Amino acid sequence: MNVPTEAYVALSGVLFAIGAMGVLVRRSAIMVFLSVELMLNAANLAIVAYARHWAGFDALAGLTGQTVVFIVLAVAAAEVAVGLAILIAIFRDRSSTDVDALAEVRL
Amino acid sequence: MATFVVLAVVMVVGALGVVLLKQPVHAALSLVGTLLTLAVTYVTLEAHFLAAVQVIVYAGAIMVLFLFVLMLLNVQDTGPRRSLPGLRWAAYAAAVVTATAIAAVAFWDGRPAPDPAVVSLHLQGGSAGGIGDALFGELLLAFHLVGVLLLTGVVGAVALVQRRAESAHGAPKGTGLPAGRDAADGKARALASGGRR
Repeated sequence: MNVPTEAYVALSGVLFAIGAMGVLVRRSAIMVFLSVELMLNAANLAIVAYARHWAGFDALAGLTGQTVVFIVLAVAAAEVAVGLAILIAIFRDRSSTDVDALAEVRL
Repeated sequence: MATFVVLAVVMVVGALGVVLLKQPVHAALSLVGTLLTLAVTYVTLEAHFLAAVQVIVYAGAIMVLFLFVLMLLNVQDTGPRRSLPGLRWAAYAAAVVTATAIAAVAFWDGRPAPDPAVVSLHLQGGSAGGIGDALFGELLLAFHLVGVLLLTGVVGAVALVQRRAESAHGAPKGTGLPAGRDAADGKARALASGGRR
């Protein structure tokens, strides 16, 4: 309980940066997707840490913050379902999920 | 504080494993470890219900989905991207700078911590009852919208995967699709023989 909120937020920032690095470095689209999940969880950690912080000042803020994370989890589940379906559709079409091979999508 | 340091070290090592391990399955299992550690961190933040949900939904359901797709697609991810030569080192440098900046700002703008007793009283241990009160009270609209989103997402996922299969059945012979499937089969066979070698 005596761990300050800053420590959790700093850890969340480190995880987010590592996830962003994975998005830039990885070649396969599914590995990019895994890195995005990492970034999403880093953001969740920051929300939970802030929820604990603000629970000290407001009776409702803490539990509302935790509930927001709960809703984010549900949205993440929907995102994963659709994202993996798109990846499978791409793989069926091209037998590859290499993001460099999808270059004709860009402008 | 010792608990937090151990958890933070395990989590950062797991996250680095997600990004740096060559084998996609290893990276996915590394992410499972990171997410489980995150669930323990939620417990230290007095969010017990969220910790349970994290284990069941994220480390359980979502990661199983990922592992199934990895198995299905036989993803190969070797070596860095070729299109931009300096990208790898630029990405490492950007990650270090971003992480340092966020951590520095967090500590520089540190606020006095609230009274632990008040926090515990207000959070009610992060119980399902407290979460439910907020979910069906203040965040009722968000709850309904998430329900619609989940339904749309599931229907959309099925439609995305299904349409191709239907057209494969309906397509006459001689279109490009059987050739593409043969090529995929050949590639799968080549990969399988490479794996047995």
